[in-house]
Amino acid sequence: MIKIEKSNFVTFIRSLSAEYNLFAPTGEGRQSAFREVKDIKQINSQIQITHNSPKTVFLPQTEILFEFKGDDIQSVQKATKPMFFWGVRSCDARGLNLLDKVMGQSKQRPDDPAFQDPYWKARFDDAIILTLACNEPASTCFCNWTGGNPFSKEAGDLWAVETETAYLIEPISEKGKDFIKKLSGYHTASEKDEQKIKALKKQAESCLQPAVDTKTLKEKLPKIWDDPLWDEVSAKCVNCSACAFICPTCYCFDIQDEGKKGKGKRIRTWDCCMFPIFTKEASGHNPRSLARERVRQRVMHKFNYFWETYGESLCTGCGRCIRVCPVNLDIRDVAKQLLETASAA
Amino acid sequence: MQNTYIPIPMKVDKVVTEDPEKTLRTYDLSFVKNSDLEQFQYLPGQFCEMSLLGMGESPFGIASSPTEEGFLRFTINRTGLVTNEIHNLRQGDTVGLRGPLGNWYPVEDFKGENVVIVGGGFAFTTLRSLLIYLLAHRENYGEITIIYGARNPDLFIYKDELETWLKRTDMKLHLTIDKPVDGWKHDTGFVPAVTEQLAPSAEKAWVVVCGPPVMIKYTLPVLEKLKFPDDRIITSLERRMKCGIGKCGRCNIGSQYVCIDGPVFSLEFLKTIPEAL
Repeated sequence: MIKIEKSNFVTFIRSLSAEYNLFAPTGEGRQSAFREVKDIKQINSQIQITHNSPKTVFLPQTEILFEFKGDDIQSVQKATKPMFFWGVRSCDARGLNLLDKVMGQSKQRPDDPAFQDPYWKARFDDAIILTLACNEPASTCFCNWTGGNPFSKEAGDLWAVETETAYLIEPISEKGKDFIKKLSGYHTASEKDEQKIKALKKQAESCLQPAVDTKTLKEKLPKIWDDPLWDEVSAKCVNCSACAFICPTCYCFDIQDEGKKGKGKRIRTWDCCMFPIFTKEASGHNPRSLARERVRQRVMHKFNYFWETYGESLCTGCGRCIRVCPVNLDIRDVAKQLLETASAA
Repeated sequence: MQNTYIPIPMKVDKVVTEDPEKTLRTYDLSFVKNSDLEQFQYLPGQFCEMSLLGMGESPFGIASSPTEEGFLRFTINRTGLVTNEIHNLRQGDTVGLRGPLGNWYPVEDFKGENVVIVGGGFAFTTLRSLLIYLLAHRENYGEITIIYGARNPDLFIYKDELETWLKRTDMKLHLTIDKPVDGWKHDTGFVPAVTEQLAPSAEKAWVVVCGPPVMIKYTLPVLEKLKFPDDRIITSLERRMKCGIGKCGRCNIGSQYVCIDGPVFSLEFLKTIPEAL
């Protein structure tokens, strides 16, 4: 584990931004997001969790798949320096890995490059993610409900924790190990530093609400598929999709052509399973015409379907949906209600 | 890096209008690039996304069999923005295609056994692919029985081929229409009822069902009554699709993506997915 004194942090950031496209949390409040930075002054080190997740960089809200002129197709993919992401929280790092399982790989057609998303891979495969431990989880954080932890080293290439005077960094992946090897001029962390980390971890965990194990929802949810509880749960929801857009693991997208015959582009944009016309077919038939069916779909996908296919929760407990929902629908309350009803069923 | 979002160019070789109302048109497409032709390997049951640059894409089951070389056949029902535009295509025009996508009918499992095919309306597309494939390898399969229903005589597709198939002695084709029409020489009645009357044997047999949701809904109980086991009842699902490669989420049902885990599923499996039926 290496130690970068805060007095040296400026130099560290400067060298990172020279070699990589450096991304870090920037901005305040609802404008906070991961953006490219050239200077330490642009980094917001005070923010626990950015309003927008790093998903905005790897799976942008809109992107051009290709442009066409007549029958000629041009795919727009620019080669760039690999990206380095400083200050990603463990929930977001897990989120990126989960997205990679869907976008960069294919469960159904493993090893077939035809079923891997080239746009995602061009950004994610070479990116270095540094997971920064959460010293002060927010009131909306619930990563411990989804098998996570504010000091988790499960995801990312590097792991770091902030003490009063320094950043302590250690590698997680092979990519991380290669990165550390190339660094020079930094001290190794001491026994005292290790003790400090233990104390910080304990303090962080004490900020979190006691965990409710959402893993048990995986078995229990199918039992209450038709339960009237879904009417209650979905009654408030206005299907605005803010939760899906802000979520670090929601990946549904739409493909649309812009322009006209002869010249234009095919673009991909974020979409949401809770929009009423998401599943509407040309014949007019809509398999999910009711709001309760759509809310159920989103909850089932996060807490049951993804488990079935990938053996993991698709929710990482980042709490952004709770902060952004215009009708204050709290997924933690929903999870508790569902567990209670399913256990009684 | 391979990019499956980019369509390959195809040329429209032949257009056949299937019905007097001009709602159904069959397109035979050939590959513009030889390299695309060589790489395109498919089996009955698979589909492609047909791409009209500037308008959008729609998924269509492949109606030709891989045993028919050099072309791909699709039958398009004119119903929305993209399909209306496809109906404007003429011989010689180019159109984009992405595929083959999805999984296929378990033709390997069918070997040595009888195959019953139950189809409705213009869902017969992939069933044509399957039938031609079975006939091309006729010695590998037992009895082939087909029950094909349409609302009225005009709405059958591949009418010329139906005539030749009726004459064949190595398969049994039953055609049925919903209500009596003067001059109609074949069966009358809804597909589920006709299937029950004809009572194909479930002994050493598989059944493939494709049709509008309401037809499938009422045919499945008939097949169960005829003692076809759930794992030998095969169907093809449809949902609105976009990417076709299991990523955009639109065709998601339960833990499955119709475009890549399907569209071919057994009834046994569908019964484990609450939203499927």
